[in-house]
Amino acid sequence: MADKVITMESVSKNYQDFAVLDIPKLELSTGIYWLKGENGAGKTTTMKVMAGLLPFRGEILLNGTVNSRRQPVQYRRLINYAEAEPLYPAYLTGRDLLELYFRTKGGDRAPVFAMATQMGVDNFVNNPVSSYSSGMLKKLSLVLAFVGNPAIILLDEPLITIDTKTLAQLYGIIQDSHSAGVSFIITSHQPLDSSQLTVAGTLTIENKNLILN
Amino acid sequence: MGVFNRIFVRRFYVENTGFFLVLFYFLFGVVNGANLLYYHMGLMEGFLSSTGFLALVLGLWLLYNFKCIGFVIKTFQLPQYSFLYDTMTCMADSERRPLWMRLHFRMYLPVFIYGGIAAVFGIYKHYYIPAGIILLFNIAMCIWPMWLYEKKLWQPDVFFLTSWFSRWLNRLFVKPSVLYFYYELFTAFPRKIFTTKLWSAAVLWLTFFLMGQSDFYDVRALQLGMIVCVLLHTQLMIHHRAFDEIYLQFLLNLPISTWRHYCRVVGVYALMLIPEAIILYFQSSGHFTLLPLLTSIITGITMLILFRVLLYFPRMNAEVHLRWILVISFILLFMILGDVTWYAIGVMHVLAAVIFFRKLPEYEPWIEVE
Repeated sequence: MADKVITMESVSKNYQDFAVLDIPKLELSTGIYWLKGENGAGKTTTMKVMAGLLPFRGEILLNGTVNSRRQPVQYRRLINYAEAEPLYPAYLTGRDLLELYFRTKGGDRAPVFAMATQMGVDNFVNNPVSSYSSGMLKKLSLVLAFVGNPAIILLDEPLITIDTKTLAQLYGIIQDSHSAGVSFIITSHQPLDSSQLTVAGTLTIENKNLILN
Repeated sequence: MGVFNRIFVRRFYVENTGFFLVLFYFLFGVVNGANLLYYHMGLMEGFLSSTGFLALVLGLWLLYNFKCIGFVIKTFQLPQYSFLYDTMTCMADSERRPLWMRLHFRMYLPVFIYGGIAAVFGIYKHYYIPAGIILLFNIAMCIWPMWLYEKKLWQPDVFFLTSWFSRWLNRLFVKPSVLYFYYELFTAFPRKIFTTKLWSAAVLWLTFFLMGQSDFYDVRALQLGMIVCVLLHTQLMIHHRAFDEIYLQFLLNLPISTWRHYCRVVGVYALMLIPEAIILYFQSSGHFTLLPLLTSIITGITMLILFRVLLYFPRMNAEVHLRWILVISFILLFMILGDVTWYAIGVMHVLAAVIFFRKLPEYEPWIEVE
């Protein structure tokens, strides 16, 4: 069990009477996974359920031991999430958010600041997010997803909005983090660049079930 | 150029109707009609004859001018008005600069008229220097904003003092999560919070006025006033829930315990009644000791927390929420009349905590289906 980074058991999710997810069992070992699916298939819901943003039925374990219900705080220290279209209160600055994430998630600041500098986030970090373009906001949310000591990072559509230079940098950062033992689940309508990332498997949502291919 | 008049001047008066009504009430509504003229003449003579009072009045007029300037600058920053840059920059200087002055003058007009009357009155009463100061001040207030508007027009990304100040502040100060909702209210919905606070202050003032009339100062009457104040604040709670659902979703992915989430909610509503606490302290002026004042404030905070927490029942829409609020307030009122306020406070706190700790982990917005 110990090598399983995430285990989902009898996980189901309904929006009122409408069933969206029904996953009897899924175990993922350390690695980078590409989560595929059509629009409305439930990719974002799956990620939000995993990230603890949405209530669900069933059990999710991280590293085989940390239960999302019984150890909610420890669970959230091990799983980070970057939304496809991040939304933050307009008056918060990038720095406000970084400090909040550091205070709660902990971890080493230096690599995150290095990533922020590499992506150019440091140039606008003291401005309120209302002044950011969609690309700047996306970069900030990606940087926030690397704060702390996560076992797994969920990236929802990380390839959209950002420029090609940042994209290359992001691939490098993901690869480096993975070498340090961090797993990733990445949703994307475009295939992940196999020359940049070694994908351990592809996840698809079929009939509300999440299947590892 | 009627279009600019509609964009700036008309919108300014329409969007600030509440502000002008309140101002009008305080200037012309609080005094008996027969004494109105003498009231204003006395007021004018007051600031014409006292340097300190005059400085205060000029300061208030300056604040009003900032309000007008802020409105124009904010209009420029709205995406739907970005066409102003394309169009106004094509106008000749000789046409655009007088236009700025006309537009600004029309927004500043209420103060200009009052200032003009005060200056004429000052000359009549031989206060020549203060009258001259008032005239020059008001003329300057109509002219200098044109410089700011021109700067904004030609340099849309220019950082004004406030932006520079906020950037400097942002470097020094990280916003605590307990203040997020207040930032939202003061930046996006200032009218909502200001009108709520104004009404709340009016209720407390009326409470003390009625107690003073009958010369009967009772803590239960004070708490009744506080209940009404809390009811006025409940409109902010639906807004608070929507704000949490839309913008603070990301907090749920952070390793924050339910206890700390609860402390945040308690903090938000404890801070909300600070103005009322100040009003109570100064209005009571020896009629109440600290304990009854504290009891009233804690009752108010507890009610606010409980009413907010009720919204963690996903199907609790505004109408159902209001019903519960009225039922709880009714029960509380009888408990207060029966002198068991602290039991009521204890019960409400326990109830709020139980609901929050049970409901937060499973809460998600309810989507109304037709």
